[in-house]
Amino acid sequence: MMHFKMTALALAFGLALASTPAKADAMHGKGHAGAIGSPGNAAKTTRTVTITMHDNYYEPESLSIKEGETVKFVIKNAGSLVHEFSIATGAMHAAHRPEMNMMVEHGVLEPDRINWDAAKKMQATMGHGMHDEPNSKLLEPGKSAEMIWHFPNHANLEFACNVPGHYDAGMVGKIKLVH
Amino acid sequence: MKFRFMACFGLAAMALASGANAGEYNLTVDPVRIDTGTFTRDGVGFNGASPGPVLRFKEGEDVVINVTNNLSELTSIHWHGLILPFQQDGVPGISYAGIKPGETFTYRFPIVQSGTYWFHSHSPFQEPDGAYGAIVIEPKQREPFNFQREHVIVLTDSHPHRGHRIMRNLKMMPDYYNRQQRTIADFVADAEKMGFQAALADRLDWGDMRMMPNDVEDLQGFTPLINGKSTQQNWAGIFTPGERIRLRFINSSAMTYFDIRIPGLKMTVVQADGNNVQPVPVDEFRIAVAETYDVIVRPTEDKAYAIFAESVARTASVRATLAPRAGMAADVPAMRKPPLLTMADMGMAHGDHAGMNHSASSSPATHKMPDGTTMQGAAHTDHSAHGGAKPRDAFYAAGSGLVPTAAEGVKFLSYSDLRAMRPLYEHRKATREIELRLTGNMERYIWSINGIKYSQAEPIRLKYGERVRFKFVNETMMTHPMHLHGMWSILDTGKGKWDPIKHVVSVAPGTTVYMETEVDAPGEWAFHCHLAYHADSGMFRKVIVEGGPPKKQAAVSGAKGG
Amino acid sequence: MTGRIFAGVALAAMLLTAGPAAAEQLLWGVKAEQLEYRRGGDSNLLAWDVNAHVGTDELKLVYRSEGEFKRKGSVLERFENHFRAQVPISTFFDAVGGVRIDTPEGPDRVHGLIGLHGLAPQWFEVDADFFVSDHPSFRLEVEYEALITNRLILTPSLEFDLPFKDDTAIDIGAWGPKAEIGLRLGYDLIDRLVSPYVGVHYERVFGKTRDLARAEGKDDDAFYLTVGMKMIF
Repeated sequence: MMHFKMTALALAFGLALASTPAKADAMHGKGHAGAIGSPGNAAKTTRTVTITMHDNYYEPESLSIKEGETVKFVIKNAGSLVHEFSIATGAMHAAHRPEMNMMVEHGVLEPDRINWDAAKKMQATMGHGMHDEPNSKLLEPGKSAEMIWHFPNHANLEFACNVPGHYDAGMVGKIKLVH
Repeated sequence: MKFRFMACFGLAAMALASGANAGEYNLTVDPVRIDTGTFTRDGVGFNGASPGPVLRFKEGEDVVINVTNNLSELTSIHWHGLILPFQQDGVPGISYAGIKPGETFTYRFPIVQSGTYWFHSHSPFQEPDGAYGAIVIEPKQREPFNFQREHVIVLTDSHPHRGHRIMRNLKMMPDYYNRQQRTIADFVADAEKMGFQAALADRLDWGDMRMMPNDVEDLQGFTPLINGKSTQQNWAGIFTPGERIRLRFINSSAMTYFDIRIPGLKMTVVQADGNNVQPVPVDEFRIAVAETYDVIVRPTEDKAYAIFAESVARTASVRATLAPRAGMAADVPAMRKPPLLTMADMGMAHGDHAGMNHSASSSPATHKMPDGTTMQGAAHTDHSAHGGAKPRDAFYAAGSGLVPTAAEGVKFLSYSDLRAMRPLYEHRKATREIELRLTGNMERYIWSINGIKYSQAEPIRLKYGERVRFKFVNETMMTHPMHLHGMWSILDTGKGKWDPIKHVVSVAPGTTVYMETEVDAPGEWAFHCHLAYHADSGMFRKVIVEGGPPKKQAAVSGAKGG
Repeated sequence: MTGRIFAGVALAAMLLTAGPAAAEQLLWGVKAEQLEYRRGGDSNLLAWDVNAHVGTDELKLVYRSEGEFKRKGSVLERFENHFRAQVPISTFFDAVGGVRIDTPEGPDRVHGLIGLHGLAPQWFEVDADFFVSDHPSFRLEVEYEALITNRLILTPSLEFDLPFKDDTAIDIGAWGPKAEIGLRLGYDLIDRLVSPYVGVHYERVFGKTRDLARAEGKDDDAFYLTVGMKMIF
């Protein structure tokens, strides 16, 4: 599981940005689970959806989910760059991106790998830790992960990659919640 | 003879094999009238217009392009950035003899790449006179970005004078077109600002060199155009709010670099010179002559947005519009203040080289002057202190007056931001280094490489299979967009395998820039500064690639025989 | 003499046409540095200093015509024809060789000429010529362009002629120099193609040349207001 933990990461840094509500959502997804849903219970999973991450797009490019459904996502990074699969609102994604930028600036996030030495150094000097975010998986090329997500009844959600530039280039898909 | 036969046979086989995947295109090279809104002039165009058509190819297609010369002089078409057999590269005197008046030349080559490129005449002054057009190549595979709509944005710098006259005038009087020279009033203003003595010392320093800090654009007086339209003529592209739009920027200017922004929109750079790069969101970018950049923008509001391009020396600008409906025109932003070169740009700044990496470093403080004398850096004229707040960009000399900053927002694209999406070649150490000093004599308007102009130079000889590291040392005060034909230029940004793959490498004054080339294309190629009048006055080389696989060599010899 | 000129022209033509494969275009141009009407002195006059060149970076052939036509009595007071070949010898300077043929009213003079043409530090345009003949002399011309605006240009100029021998037929005395200074304010009307100007022009002779002038009852100096047109094509 160590391996899973290392590759499937959400990179969250509180910083001053945490003051905005959207930011707070992104930071502490659990606390606001109602808005975007919450980690799901494996027993309640109704289906498995495979998400393949390419450079820089997803397959499938959009999702249609039943309101309140619990879905098991099997996420594969088939690209040659690091990609993220993150479920959140557009605003939350936007708030998340500056943190990802910082990861790049500190050498933690390289194009095709996560530099754990740099991550440790950053944690030591800045006092901000990296911890798993239940709504996000960050995968190096060739890696896979699973995520079980319980969707709310109403939400305006996107699945997106917040590696700098990727969202802007269109690595984002709509999640349609249907009745 | 045998070779010729083999080459013909090869071509025939190729034609047969390609079958349905062959596209035939017809182009005419025509005398045209160009109307910029401020003046009209005679020029050269393709299919009766300047800019010419957008050629749309498909990766994997074998193209057949019939080019008919309707001019009364020799012409040619070069497919800028395309990887192809050298006989198809369209440089008179290197690839072939050119196309005579009234004749039709048929180009045949496979399309082995995708992205945004352009084509232009490679015969003297036809390109500055209007002979350019865009090339868009659709890739085989899905692209690493998403867009619902695209627009080609061709930037040009149409000048009221024809090219051969401009060349004559520049030779006669190199500052003929410079209307940004420092005046007596500027001196008074400087004296008030920095004191009379300092202002005088500054004038004397520049006067000693017989150079001008305002010499950023040696050709002024042009009207910049976007897709052939000036600000007044307002080219407009349509969008639906919320769409991702791909803008394919091509700088087909003869001499002009532009700083480009779309106020109110972030641009995500996804391609540079036709090659995918890891996407970089920016507020503004500088496009060197002959470069291309593809950006994704996503306007969400139902309003007109300006695509605003200012020439680097701020002598002219052009606004085009992105609008949800036809008939809209975005506001025209004001031009910013022109930059002034500093002693750093002359390669004479002392000190602060911090933050420089090995790939782009400033020339030493001691600078050899064109007349052979040596000049020490003059600290009191180093303007870097005045512009100290500017962020460092390793591709400009420390303390350079040319470092760009974003007009709105913060992020101005640097070469350092460019990372190849996927390395094209296996990363390896270069097999040898070739130093190319970019040299010139401003006063005589002679441009050269290693002090020797093209007409007097030996070709550069490369061996097939080498990986050559080119070291550009810019000893002039101008920025030179260096363009190697036929093979990719891997720009050393210090990122190893992620170094971006380009066809134009811009070298700012007072800097040293490295690029590497996998020598994988036999034959004879052009290698030159893409500023039209620099190339035509000698900053140009022929490159000969020797050796190579027998199959490729046969094609080369066959074509040379025929 | 003419034989030598022909040989020179032939050599020049050879150099111009025998370029390597990557030949550059043949350059040419016409400049009227001064083309003006002068009012003052003992007679108003038309004056010109016009040159035309053809050549390459390596060799330029220049024809230069300088003259003064006096209104009073319709006298072609001065008429110099220079045939100059210019070869670069440094970044900013050309060596000049050629002939100067003076065919004004009165006796003609033919000189060989050798000199320098170029741009001195601080942007002074300099011509320095030795004229070699039975009546040798030296001439220095210096010009500077001060920009009031980028189109309104003030041009101070200086010309200094120093004869080494007497040429009494044309009122020149050995070591008696002639100096001309001018100040012209021009405006670039169409590019640099047409730049009309107004200005002042003052000339004076010294030494033995002055004595000769005085002996003939002529002034030893003259002041003119001038209006003219600078042209570059």
